[in-house]
Amino acid sequence: MKNEQDGGRGKEKETSAAVDSAGTSIEVWEKVKIKLNEYLSADAFSRWFKSAELIEDDERGAAVIGVNSDMQQIWIETNYMDEVRAAFAEGAGIHTQAFIRVLGEEVAPSVKKVARGSASVSDQVKVVKQDEESPKTVALERKLKKMGINPEFNFESFVVGDNSQFAHAACSAVASGEGRSFNPLFIHGRAGLGKTHLMSSIAQQLLISEPKAKVVFLTAEQFANEFIDAVRKGNLDSFRKSYRTADIMLIDDIQFLAGKERTQDEFFHTFSGLLNTRTQLVLTCDRPAHEIQQLEPRLVSRFESGLTVELQTPGFETRVAILQRKMEQWNVVLEDEVIFHIANLIQSNVRRLEGALTRVASFSFLSSEEMTIAKVDDLLRDLIRDENSRQITIDAIQKAVCEQYDLSLADMSSRRRPASIAFPRQIAMALSRQLTNHSLVEIGEAFGRRDHGTVIHACKRVEQEIEVNTEVKAVVEKLIAVLQR
Amino acid sequence: MKFQIAKEAFLDGLQQVQHVVSSRTTLPILSNVLIEASDSGLRLTTTDLDVGVSGTAEAEVSKTGSTTLPVKRLVNIIRELPSAEVEVSVDSKNIASIKSGPSFFKIIGLPDTEFPPLADFQDAKEYQIPQNLLRDGLKKTSYAISTDETRYVLNGIFTSFKEGKLTLVATDGRRLAMVDNDLEFPASHETDFIIPTKAVQELQRLLNSEGDLTLRLSDNQVCFEIGSSIIVSKLIEGNYPNYRQVIPAETKERLTVGREALLETVRRVSLLSSEKSNSVKLSFGANELGVAANSPDIGEANESVEVKYDGKEFAIAFNPDFLQAPLRALDDENVHLDLIDEMSPGVLRTEDAFLYVLMPMRVTS
Repeated sequence: MKNEQDGGRGKEKETSAAVDSAGTSIEVWEKVKIKLNEYLSADAFSRWFKSAELIEDDERGAAVIGVNSDMQQIWIETNYMDEVRAAFAEGAGIHTQAFIRVLGEEVAPSVKKVARGSASVSDQVKVVKQDEESPKTVALERKLKKMGINPEFNFESFVVGDNSQFAHAACSAVASGEGRSFNPLFIHGRAGLGKTHLMSSIAQQLLISEPKAKVVFLTAEQFANEFIDAVRKGNLDSFRKSYRTADIMLIDDIQFLAGKERTQDEFFHTFSGLLNTRTQLVLTCDRPAHEIQQLEPRLVSRFESGLTVELQTPGFETRVAILQRKMEQWNVVLEDEVIFHIANLIQSNVRRLEGALTRVASFSFLSSEEMTIAKVDDLLRDLIRDENSRQITIDAIQKAVCEQYDLSLADMSSRRRPASIAFPRQIAMALSRQLTNHSLVEIGEAFGRRDHGTVIHACKRVEQEIEVNTEVKAVVEKLIAVLQR
Repeated sequence: MKFQIAKEAFLDGLQQVQHVVSSRTTLPILSNVLIEASDSGLRLTTTDLDVGVSGTAEAEVSKTGSTTLPVKRLVNIIRELPSAEVEVSVDSKNIASIKSGPSFFKIIGLPDTEFPPLADFQDAKEYQIPQNLLRDGLKKTSYAISTDETRYVLNGIFTSFKEGKLTLVATDGRRLAMVDNDLEFPASHETDFIIPTKAVQELQRLLNSEGDLTLRLSDNQVCFEIGSSIIVSKLIEGNYPNYRQVIPAETKERLTVGREALLETVRRVSLLSSEKSNSVKLSFGANELGVAANSPDIGEANESVEVKYDGKEFAIAFNPDFLQAPLRALDDENVHLDLIDEMSPGVLRTEDAFLYVLMPMRVTS
């Protein structure tokens, strides 16, 4: 891990050195060499340093000195590192750590088998070569990967439709720094609609325009884990510091904080601290902030204090556009008819839409068969079934509950309240709350125009029962399973 | 398998091979010694998969066969036995019964079929080397071997058969020791390789001052046959760095000094070099060498030695341990110390082909 990080750091340094100090590194090295010549005997200087070159330097990072043989490396590393450091400091005013690397192929056969120590050397050498090809993109990609960002998630690859236009515009504004008033930016939408994509795009865009910006990109789960870790190890200070010095903080799946009180507390302080220093914050969530259960009200109100944008399910045209974009990317061609059909079948989730396309495309690629509508239906059988069943309605819930408790559907909306009817009705309300996106008011409406308070009470009551009564728990779980099938 | 053997002979044989066995082995069989009893006596073999050692012991074998027994335990038992005669018999389940006078031991072994065989050296290049030449060469270089595992090519002795010479080199980046000796071998056998430290240690244990040894070399293994004993070792893979780069081309001042006198003086004076500074200062004047050490919080020491020197006056500091190591390993009466200035490495030479390059310490004054 450490090596990798070093490698990564080395890399940033290399790119920036290539960009801004290419002209000056020769001068720096000349100054350093003059100093070295003073410090060392003439013999030692000509033996070890005369042929050496400065490969890179960076005011903040390390200097890499290239030598011709491994003996030079060994001897300089064991005997002359103090002089090298002093020469950098006095000759060029650079306080740096220097590394000695062997140039050319002489090192290759022996280094390969060395354990970890020198393995990183060969990595570095390799990295330099890659850099020469396309320094910027490779560097950026490595950086993104290190941060856990998929480099493919950028604004260019995001298909904008009616459903996402506003969210996209808001994110672009934040990424270009125009959206300072949109703080925090709260993106919500159901799974697979592109929340993470948009957020990653912001991070990527920022890193391109400002490579040195301190971007913190993590999921709420990571935040919680790191917090727990910091508490356990007792280094909360450094934990706080690491987040509160960010230039921009992006947190994915904030709903994960639900029910984690201490993490919420810590997050609240981090969050307020960053807001007060006008640091840009971007959050994503699978539902609107006020609907996150077991989230502290002060957090909810802060989440809602900036700009809230919603990603909705894409319309038909957008779905077709997404499919076409993907086909371009993967270099596959399918009949329009087939594309339309897929777009019609899968409506709720872009990720699943892509999955469906992958399946159809790879099938048509692997078999020479003509792709027909029937064939597509056959291939996507399971997805279609899933897709249809995903739309759980209050009606379906009421029906299932009635079947379970042997009641008539009318009991669900009647005013009668013997326990044998009232409790199943409460279960049905709680399930409606849990499994559908209807609001409390809508649910109350569907159960005989009841007040939304009744629904809240029902939810609480069922929750309590589940905890103390295993039978109720089993029934509810069974009902959920039946409904989601 | 059954044999009778003199306690001392058995103990000698076992002690010759037991050093290879490390206390922490990955395979249980590697902590065992392979005992093969034939009409000519016993052959004892141990290995750690990198280095293997095999030796013989005279015994009266009444029933031939072979087995493996835990070597450390066996040595402890044999050493403590009360009588000079030992009788060992091993049954088909590799359980050994050891009888000596009134005492009786039973120890459980492992089948010999599990024991990893030593490498085969058919078609290998063969070299004949006088034992004393190799022994002295190793003695004069092995102390300079690096123990830094990240520079593993330096964890051994570079051995070169080139231009009618056997050259041995060891370095750790601060000092370098080299011995050159004329040796006859076919021109087609010119090569070089690196013998790992562990094999060097085993070699030093087994080499005598008389007779020749046979060195056999295959692609990645080397075998030394010394009398009836055999050492087989893997070689260190990789290229040894170009050590000639370290040796100063020309030196300005030469000082000749009695080896033992210098060694003793440095040893005495270094008693007052602190661990932190760990250096002794040599100052050169006309036919006089002053050796001094001082540690601000301990005290100071100095002593002068009579030398042959007519160069300029100056001083240089060395690590006392690094300075003593070659002096101890050598047996010449006088040594030459060649120097350029206080910042350049010193070179210790003898009349024959020994050379030692030592980096000076920085003197903070």
